Amino acid sequence: MTHFELFNLAPSVDLDVKALEDLHRKLSLESHPDRLPGDADARTRRLAAEKSAALNDAVKTLKDPVKRAFYVLELKGVKLDTEQAAAKVKMPMEFLEEIMERREALEGAKAGRKLEAAQAMAKEIREAQRIALTLAQDSLRKDDVATATQALGRVRYYTRFLEEVDAFEEELSS
Amino acid sequence: MKGFLQIHDPLKPKGSVVGIDLGTTNSLVAAVINGKPTCLPADEGGSMLLPSVVHYAANGSVLVGRHAFDVLPEFPTDTIKSVKRFMGKSVDDLETKKLGAYKFAGGKGVVRFDVAGGQPVTAIEVSGEILRQLKRRAESHFAGKVEQAVITVPAYFDDAQRQATKDAGRLAGLEVLRLLNEPTAAALAYGLDKGVQGLYAVYDLGGGTFDISVLELIDGVFQVKSVGGDSALGGDDFDRVIVQKLLDARGINAPTNSQIATLLQQARAAKERLTDAAQTELVFEGTPFPITRADFNEWIKPLLAKTGNSVRRALKDAGVTAADVKGVVLVGGSTRVPAVRDYVAEQFGQPALADIDPDQVVALGAAIQADLLTNEDRKDEVLLLDVIPLSLGLETMGGVAEKLIPRNSSIPIAQAQIFTTFQDGQTGMDIHVVQGERELVADNRSLARFRLSGIPPMAAGMGRVQVTFRVDADGILSVSAKEETTGIEQLITVKPTHGLSDEEIEQMLLDSIDHAEDDMQARMLAEQRVEAERLLLDGAKQLFENGDLLSREERAELEKQFVRLERLKKIETNHEALKAAITEIDTLARPFVEKIMDRAIGAAAVGQRVEDF
Repeated sequence: MTHFELFNLAPSVDLDVKALEDLHRKLSLESHPDRLPGDADARTRRLAAEKSAALNDAVKTLKDPVKRAFYVLELKGVKLDTEQAAAKVKMPMEFLEEIMERREALEGAKAGRKLEAAQAMAKEIREAQRIALTLAQDSLRKDDVATATQALGRVRYYTRFLEEVDAFEEELSS
Repeated sequence: MKGFLQIHDPLKPKGSVVGIDLGTTNSLVAAVINGKPTCLPADEGGSMLLPSVVHYAANGSVLVGRHAFDVLPEFPTDTIKSVKRFMGKSVDDLETKKLGAYKFAGGKGVVRFDVAGGQPVTAIEVSGEILRQLKRRAESHFAGKVEQAVITVPAYFDDAQRQATKDAGRLAGLEVLRLLNEPTAAALAYGLDKGVQGLYAVYDLGGGTFDISVLELIDGVFQVKSVGGDSALGGDDFDRVIVQKLLDARGINAPTNSQIATLLQQARAAKERLTDAAQTELVFEGTPFPITRADFNEWIKPLLAKTGNSVRRALKDAGVTAADVKGVVLVGGSTRVPAVRDYVAEQFGQPALADIDPDQVVALGAAIQADLLTNEDRKDEVLLLDVIPLSLGLETMGGVAEKLIPRNSSIPIAQAQIFTTFQDGQTGMDIHVVQGERELVADNRSLARFRLSGIPPMAAGMGRVQVTFRVDADGILSVSAKEETTGIEQLITVKPTHGLSDEEIEQMLLDSIDHAEDDMQARMLAEQRVEAERLLLDGAKQLFENGDLLSREERAELEKQFVRLERLKKIETNHEALKAAITEIDTLARPFVEKIMDRAIGAAAVGQRVEDF
């Protein structure tokens, strides 16, 4: 069962997150093992735990627009969410070079413990990520898998960059 | 009598259920009584707070609570306080070394304290003593068994710390219904008691741990949005700062263990006085050391700032801002410190809620959850959806941690990922499970390592191993790995690195089971031995006086049985087996007894009554 099917939703990059969360709450109330009567058997408990786990996993993926776009692409046959899967998608050389340069700059900021410089870079990347995500969403709506794959390939690099900045911020503040 | 109890309450065959706040400084036990969560007396004198201090005396006896606390300065290495800080830690953890003046027993892995009166003890056993004490107190309150409990843990506890807490519960003879995050418990107490709805933050500063949780309470679901914190930051650190300032002021570079223990107690008392007083002093070696509240506030500023970082991160993870938060709940004794309250108010732009006693609120919430989980009438009332505090992942090439389940995912949750072989003919794959947020494995907590073997030799990239992480509602992880072409599967419960093995726990359990059961067995056995003795004496007397009533065979058989019983009386340790033998011989002797009775009546003489035989 796909994450969308669990919630009885059509697969789409467009989703009302608030309604999704309400639905998740409602379904959790129905399926969570804690709601079972005390004399429920082990099998019933296991099934309830599995259903509950599936709901939690699904909502985590679907409520985040980036993860949701990757998932819609996956349903269209292109998996990009792991290192190994992503390695099979060829990205343009110019893009990879640009990312490499930016990452080197970030490494420099990290080595010099320059938080503000890193945050300024993150701001640019966040904007680039937003643009790439919008393109990916548009392409997915039009079922243009090739363009969506390229766009999400970029999003993936940007996301990793932003995660690294987050980790750096946490490191400095702890 | 058991039958009657079961008729009255068929759904609670295991006695009362309790909620336990196993705290760094104090522990509490609570239960829902007549629909109302209530803390139970936990220590001598009826105090609800049981100091989490355990003293091991040279004669092998164990003191828990206030009595143990009182002997702490005298026996600093045999009296374990703040044991929670050692839960799930190994001797190699840096933090372990800076905590207190304990003597650690040798050996790798789990921390063992060298204490008086016997074997070294682990943090799990020390916590088990605290839990056992709370269980006993609750049992004497209810005059009945208490075998199930919800035990709270800091939301920020990692897998090893959770597993250790669960094991401590098992050692104390408790079935742990759920490990509940402390802030979630507090929110539950507020939510159900005060009827709150919306987005709330719980700021929990205890003796040794700091937790921040952001929760949303909507339509009967308490959903934790994010948690954060520091499992080694609390009011104890405030005490330490005071001690350090005094030592610096006096130029004492190498204080003794006893000096530190005494000073820490005095510092704690001074800190508590500063809640109401603008200044106080502590007297050390005859000379007073004055402290103003302003000094103290200044000294703890860096510690408060650390909590602020966690607060900001938790808000960010929840995707909300401080302005979205409708109320802030204060939990933990350290939130009585005025500077802490001011700091929280400043962070959230509103004064915090503290109308439930911050010491009791967690235990009360745990009792509510215990009731919700076991009371069929309340099942529909509310559902808790908690999260895991730290990301779970695997080591991949180059010592990089790849996250499988990110922090703040709702639990229970399962996640699978496929890994492929990277060498031709590779038949095994090492799986290293880590927990934490850092990019490199070395910077995260190592939870377990295991090896999936038996992959058939194939070209690189052809062997595919699916690794599945499952986190249960207690936040405890299990990992399975499956090779896809052969279906070879391995399941591990993640605990070996920092915890105790199941076998060790079982052994401790056997060693430490309450003697009550043994005592009961011993008493019943003694009763049956008396019974056997009486039968043998009477039997010998009757054979001597009336033996002529029996045939040779009958007499031989009865004598043989008496010899058997004589022997059983000495060696049988099971009272039921002994009782069965007595009944058997009694039955065998019945015709003989009847003949004796007939003769007695015939002779108009008064013989033994049947019952007396």
